[in-house]
Amino acid sequence: MLSLRTWILGVKSLMLHPMRSALTILGIFIGVASVIWLLAIGEGISQEAQRQIEDLGAENIIVRSIKPPDDAGASVRNVELYGVTRAQMSAIKNTIPTIEQVVPVRELKQKFIYAGNQNAKPLDGRLVGCSPAYAEVTKLKPARGRFISSTDIETNDSVCVVAAVLAQKLFPSADPLEKAIYLPEKKEYFKVIGVLEPKNATAAIGGSLSAQDFSLDVYIPITTMRAKMGDEEVRRASGSFSRELFELSQITIEVESPEEVPRTAKIVEATLRLGEEDRQDIAVIVPYELLEQAKTTRLMLMFAFGVVAAISLVVGGIGIMNIMLATVTERTREIGIRRALGGKRSDITNQFLVETISLSVVGGAIGVLLGVVFPFLVTGARWLTETLAPETYDKLPSIAQNLQPQIVPLSIPLAFSISVVVGVLFGLYPAMRAAKMDPIEALRHE
Amino acid sequence: MSTNTSTQPKLAAQIRDLTKHYVLKSETVRALRGVSFDIPEGDYVAIMGPSGSGKSTLLNLLGCLDRPTGGSFILGDDDVAQMTDDELSGIRASRIGFVFQSYNLIAQLSVVENIEVPLYYMGRLNRESRQRSTELAAMVGLGQRLDHRPTQLSGGQQQRVAIARSLVNDPYFILADEATGNLDSVTTEEILALFQRLNDEGRTIIMVTHEDEVAQHAKRIIRLRDGLVQVDERMEDRKTFTAEQIEEISKNAHAANEADEG
Repeated sequence: MLSLRTWILGVKSLMLHPMRSALTILGIFIGVASVIWLLAIGEGISQEAQRQIEDLGAENIIVRSIKPPDDAGASVRNVELYGVTRAQMSAIKNTIPTIEQVVPVRELKQKFIYAGNQNAKPLDGRLVGCSPAYAEVTKLKPARGRFISSTDIETNDSVCVVAAVLAQKLFPSADPLEKAIYLPEKKEYFKVIGVLEPKNATAAIGGSLSAQDFSLDVYIPITTMRAKMGDEEVRRASGSFSRELFELSQITIEVESPEEVPRTAKIVEATLRLGEEDRQDIAVIVPYELLEQAKTTRLMLMFAFGVVAAISLVVGGIGIMNIMLATVTERTREIGIRRALGGKRSDITNQFLVETISLSVVGGAIGVLLGVVFPFLVTGARWLTETLAPETYDKLPSIAQNLQPQIVPLSIPLAFSISVVVGVLFGLYPAMRAAKMDPIEALRHE
Repeated sequence: MSTNTSTQPKLAAQIRDLTKHYVLKSETVRALRGVSFDIPEGDYVAIMGPSGSGKSTLLNLLGCLDRPTGGSFILGDDDVAQMTDDELSGIRASRIGFVFQSYNLIAQLSVVENIEVPLYYMGRLNRESRQRSTELAAMVGLGQRLDHRPTQLSGGQQQRVAIARSLVNDPYFILADEATGNLDSVTTEEILALFQRLNDEGRTIIMVTHEDEVAQHAKRIIRLRDGLVQVDERMEDRKTFTAEQIEEISKNAHAANEADEG
């Protein structure tokens, strides 16, 4: 007999103790909201990870040179070459038919100054020697001017393209185009021919490498770099002295199609390790595989968050059960009256079930509502922190600054129906206990 | 032992050799040891007896709240003794009107909703039943207080709501358990006058009480002792209210209502 009347009565009974009912609802609401929130955060994290990996290019294979650990005994005079070589690059390019193109990169940590203001403090950045194709495979877009051209490569021009953030820092009040940048360590000048659009960091690639940050890069033709700086890096810092010898920091291999990637990657790796099975100075990174891994990670993340959220729903359910047991005891006499006036056991069960379901449905509805506005709350909180405490905001990890929770549409009906199920499950025992009471005993209850 | 009631054509209830045993730990308590009597329609019976006489047990059996160990309890055409729990609930909803000592109204319901409860459990709530409940409320003098909650009413008013509730299903009999036990003498008179009026209109009333004052208003007294009927007698010098008295009492009660309203 679950008539409208029963529901109205249930709500009336709950209104007798508004505080108690509100707290019980709170328990369920937190559970439901946390299901939606945690799933949204999980989705946000994995979407960010997938975006970063996709930025590396699903049809690319990346080979990084890894600097061997500093050997204390290594002679200063006798330095060994490590990493990918130009010869290996040509071998790969010329022997594997599924490869579209190979883009070489050589990176150096450098300090930069605007040549027009040499008294300024030199800024740390990264000098990247590359070919024109690098812009395409790394999805770099010039905001102004142009990227390195093949003519620049052929003529070993001293030109450079600056990343947005570094350009802003080097030229706070001047137009960088056609200005010169000075590298104090190399005593070289480069003319700025382009400024790039801002770009987010990509995924960390390889176990030993951190996320690729493109914000402080200065790109020059790789041929110019070789001609002016050679393959050896000598670094002096407060009396100590280090040397390293490498030809290329990275080669990015573009394959015809993503399907060919795993196979090609195996051949590339085999080619590079030919004769030296367990060399540690290279790492082959396959974004396509990372993407697959990220999808698995996403599922695991969702599962873990789902379990946490489910626990909070169960806790909410226990709250319901607790309150209903107290209510049943408190309303023993009412149960007796209702039984005496003709209420069946099932009527009593229904009456109390209706109350728990009402509690959990209201809790669920509020939870869904707050769950849905969660992304806006995050944006709001971020804006507030940024406005009120900019220093604190700058210190926040980038995940806190960038993460945008993505509501998983399925999580809304899921969370809501779980809350209803919780209401029924945890309400059933108190309701049945109420129904089991002997009407005579119940009527006598004070 | 029992009065011969064969002249009465129709019985509200018929009890034959009713026994009830309780098993408490190792010993068996024989609360009723074979009780028989008839309740003709329109009768007004007071059941009396000291504590331990089986009075409460008999009340529970008459109210279909419990099943007897032996014997039969015929209500209409059915032997209640053989019924399942759900069937008993149905009987309570449709054939019995309860009036309790402590009124037993449901706190979260209004006067008219309280009166409707038995109909709700019979699945007979509709516009007509609301009409009937409203009329009953008016009949017991609470027509102006349909939307009041029990806590807003005095004891006598609450008991009148309970009486209206006991009538809503047009029961075979009204079963009143110490219905005046919580009331002062003026209000007790008021309730007894109401009972008499209902009985005069043909309602059957069974009243369980330990007060002789109250029992003397009944037409018949059944005295229990040690689980058996000791005395079952018609009252010769029954206390009655005259029609004028009833009118006077109800007028006073209504006047008290209005004073409360003011």
